Amino acid sequence: MMFHRIIGCLGLAAGSLLGAGDDWAFSSVKNPPLPAVDTIQWAREDLDHFILAGIEERDSLPTKAAEKRTLVRRAYLDLHGLPPTTEQITVFLQDEREDAWKRLIDGLLESPRYGERWGRHWLDVARYADTNGMDEDIAHPSAWRYRDYVIAAFNEDKPFDQFIVEQLAGDLLPAKDLEEKRTRTVGLGFLSVGPKMLACDDPDKMRRDIVDEQMDTMGRAFLGMTIGCARCHDHKIDPISIEDYYGLAGIFMSTKTLTKYSVVAEFHEHNLTEETHQKRWQDVRRLEAVRKKKETPKEEKERLGNEIAILKKDLPAPFKVMGVTEYPTQNVKVHLRGDYLTLGEEVPRGVPSAWTDGKKIAMPGKQSGRLELARWMISAENPLTSRVIVNRLWRWHFGRGIVPTPDNFGGLGERPTHPKLLDHLARRFVESGWSVKAMHRLMMNSATYRQSAQADLALLEYDPENKLFARWQRRRVESEVIRDSILMKSKRLDLTMGGSMLVVQTSKYVDRGHLDAHSLVPRRTVYLPVYRSSGYDGQKAFDAADPAVPDGNRRSSTVAGQALYLMNSGLMHESSRALAEVMLAATPDQDSRARTSWLIKHLLGREATAKERLQGGEFVESYGDEKEAWAAFSRVLFSSNEFLYVD
Amino acid sequence: MLQRSGTGFGALALQAMLAREASGKAKAPPLPGTAKRVIFLFMHGGPSTVDLFDPKPLLARDSGKPFPLKAPRITSHKSENLLLKSPWSCQQHGQSGAPVCDLLPNIAAIADDLCFVKSMHCSNSRHGGALLELHTGSDTFTRPAMGSWINYGLGSENENLPGFITINPSGSHGGAGAWSSSFLPAKYSGTRIGGKSGEMKVPFIDNPLHDRAKQRKELDLLASFNREHLVQRGADSELESRIASYELAFKMQMEVPGVQDISSEPAHVKKLYGADVDPTKSFGEQCLMARRFSEAGVRFVQATHRYWDSHGNLRKEHEKLSAEMDKPVAGLISDLKQRGLLDETLVLWGGEFGRTPTAQGKDGRDHNPHGFTMFMAGGGIKPGTVYGSTDDYGYYAEDKPVHFHDLHATILHLMGIDHEEFTYRYAGRDFRLTDVAGKVVKGIIA
Repeated sequence: MMFHRIIGCLGLAAGSLLGAGDDWAFSSVKNPPLPAVDTIQWAREDLDHFILAGIEERDSLPTKAAEKRTLVRRAYLDLHGLPPTTEQITVFLQDEREDAWKRLIDGLLESPRYGERWGRHWLDVARYADTNGMDEDIAHPSAWRYRDYVIAAFNEDKPFDQFIVEQLAGDLLPAKDLEEKRTRTVGLGFLSVGPKMLACDDPDKMRRDIVDEQMDTMGRAFLGMTIGCARCHDHKIDPISIEDYYGLAGIFMSTKTLTKYSVVAEFHEHNLTEETHQKRWQDVRRLEAVRKKKETPKEEKERLGNEIAILKKDLPAPFKVMGVTEYPTQNVKVHLRGDYLTLGEEVPRGVPSAWTDGKKIAMPGKQSGRLELARWMISAENPLTSRVIVNRLWRWHFGRGIVPTPDNFGGLGERPTHPKLLDHLARRFVESGWSVKAMHRLMMNSATYRQSAQADLALLEYDPENKLFARWQRRRVESEVIRDSILMKSKRLDLTMGGSMLVVQTSKYVDRGHLDAHSLVPRRTVYLPVYRSSGYDGQKAFDAADPAVPDGNRRSSTVAGQALYLMNSGLMHESSRALAEVMLAATPDQDSRARTSWLIKHLLGREATAKERLQGGEFVESYGDEKEAWAAFSRVLFSSNEFLYVD
Repeated sequence: MLQRSGTGFGALALQAMLAREASGKAKAPPLPGTAKRVIFLFMHGGPSTVDLFDPKPLLARDSGKPFPLKAPRITSHKSENLLLKSPWSCQQHGQSGAPVCDLLPNIAAIADDLCFVKSMHCSNSRHGGALLELHTGSDTFTRPAMGSWINYGLGSENENLPGFITINPSGSHGGAGAWSSSFLPAKYSGTRIGGKSGEMKVPFIDNPLHDRAKQRKELDLLASFNREHLVQRGADSELESRIASYELAFKMQMEVPGVQDISSEPAHVKKLYGADVDPTKSFGEQCLMARRFSEAGVRFVQATHRYWDSHGNLRKEHEKLSAEMDKPVAGLISDLKQRGLLDETLVLWGGEFGRTPTAQGKDGRDHNPHGFTMFMAGGGIKPGTVYGSTDDYGYYAEDKPVHFHDLHATILHLMGIDHEEFTYRYAGRDFRLTDVAGKVVKGIIA
């Protein structure tokens, strides 16, 4: 009975479901008028009207705006994932122009630090990893190009519709030159970097499992839909039938992800090396083979060595891109109960008809249909994609989605708290040409965004989850932000962008022994190789995304392991010592109270209180060795709630 | 009752979670359970249980002849399917008359404490797939490990310790997937510790360069700053929890080093586990460490012994591995029994699969997920039992087959959890350790 297994979906009593049978997500995007509100002067952007209407409906009030000092820190952490420097804070506080806030946001969006921060959000959804994990932890040596592509896409404000098409079908788009071909092909990493069982004795099962994972990730990432359930039976909740599933599966079965489906499998890579370089590489390999032969005389070996060295001089490494490609097209038969050994009717490739309101999306005879699927995904007839994306952006800014389950807009997800706002934003997003930066400006310029976290007690009790968005939700910064901030504030952060730190070749096993060495490299955390089989202890403790599943809604836990990390890790001790030295160099001949003030301003972005100056002085004097004492004091501030939370 | 939401993880849920964390009390199991803790002795690579526990007269008689039944559709390696008799012999032991190989005299001596399930089977013929299926219930997707599920269901018995510790786990064939909490909250994730005596330490539990008294000073100042911050910000349960988390961490620092220090064990106990001399020293130390953690209240402790993958060189490799493993395993079970802990501790022994009764080369066996033996002790299991059987050659589970899903259902049952009711909602679905399968194996429960 081996492999005759179904991928189980639990039958749920329909009565227990929220919104079962209600397909709000599939209804067309409306253009709702701005609701009437009483305190209209509060609103700064149209979106504020929708929030305010909800607040007023419950006879409540929005929370007052946060102070400028709070806002500047919030904006830096939100857009860059790094806190502001003392100078950056001062510049903003002294800018009294009416549009100082807008200018700040514009400036932050111009910095490459922005793409590193927001690209990482998307990498959570794309379940990005540099290694396969699962049963065989084989390297994805060129996956980093996809990571860098995502960072660049955010930095360039690549229209998100184009970003989607490239990730699903970049290889099928025309390209005017090699450079464009490369950019478009790199996006395909999205489909390829998923977790796979690579040692499977049954290649048919393996292919179907890979297709299932790709469809599931695509469905959640762009449509907020879980598709996997329909592998075995009609989806019990959402409108996707088993025929729909296998119609869609036909597109992905006509797509090649691996070059070898036998144990151990290998990934497909596009070789986009420039032609002349390609030729030189071929020559290099040919000569190297001759040189390796035993019978080649010593002098000849030396001569070949020289020749190879000349050929390799200034020769760029081959340009390989991990990504899918086309297979001969095929339609798939329905697998009864998900089992490919008991087949039903053949289903033509296509986009599920429930998604297209019954309309048939024509599939080409000689292509998989990925491009047609991608084009439908971004078309005006599809109401899901734009809603899903703006909701993701909202979630990352506000800590909670308008639809609180950003990866699931289906019947088993939660319903939007502000459906009209969602449509309003989706419409604005499409009108802006799918500009993510335009959405940042809109959301961050709103009065909703600028509220203080220090809300009325009654409001906190009435709305602990902040469903009304009537205040700023104070929250802990993410794992990457903790590490990057500590490195930055101790002046250790290396801002080199891009490239790979992996030291293995295609289809070779990675060595987890390298993890410690990787984590010591003081570059931004987004550039540390992601080993799916084993995260970095410090990152895992703070809820870093699990790269095995798409996750647009990271959780934020509070556990003792986090405290242990901050108390005892090498990162913390080395950084606090480095900061002590930086501080001592910056404050020669000053007393311990002045130094306390310097550190508090440097790390927390505010003046120290008299009490803190006193406490700092006493602490240092009673601690022992002066430098160690300042390192210890730095550790205290690095570990403080004020440093770890964004107000 | 045990259903919780993975989405919309709001302040209330967090508060509830932390309240439990702070109180240090375990949740009472919803059904009366006999087992409170699990110790899983994982034999990575797939031990040849057809040699160790499942002797077959027909296999000995027909050695060298083709396997007369239908070979599986999928196998790990190509094979001529010629039968290979065991290089060793088994004797019946104890009142149950359970057959145990001569390579395992210490396990044989405690046969009446053990329950052998001889009809185990699983769905994957490769190490990674089978290992993940054994640990998580799925050989296809990333799912929480059983140790994570159990901690999520029952909570902690000792908040100063992690609830799920895995000693010397395999980095390959699933790696962290075998101890990851996946979509369950991160606190239920397994804590991985090394296998050598100096490495068996909870990560970040200390900093050898740092003086404890000075650290206390730092934490006092931190608490003072954090309290001042809290006063200014107003009520915020999350900020309060984080303040508490440092005190909890400090208590862990006080308690954990004592638990993980096996040097304090008396010589006769070390001897019982073989933790004093080679070849049993390494796994003996791990088993002893497993008992110490378990005794201190760690719900799920795993120790891994490797590497049983004898495609060739079966005779030599299995003799060496058996000699390393036999005494520590028997020592652990005897020690638990002497301490009165065996009744509430379920000990599980086994690999991700067994090995074929057919030969690979002249002295090797291939992976066999179709029929193999695991054994259990304590925790409400019927001692001195032999349950189920394979066919006449030891290839397929035949009588009363037990899939990994059934094993999981049974473990949960022993801990007082109904595997069908025990769900976690994630991404719109209610997930179970046993997915849509699993039956409690009533025949092995006391």
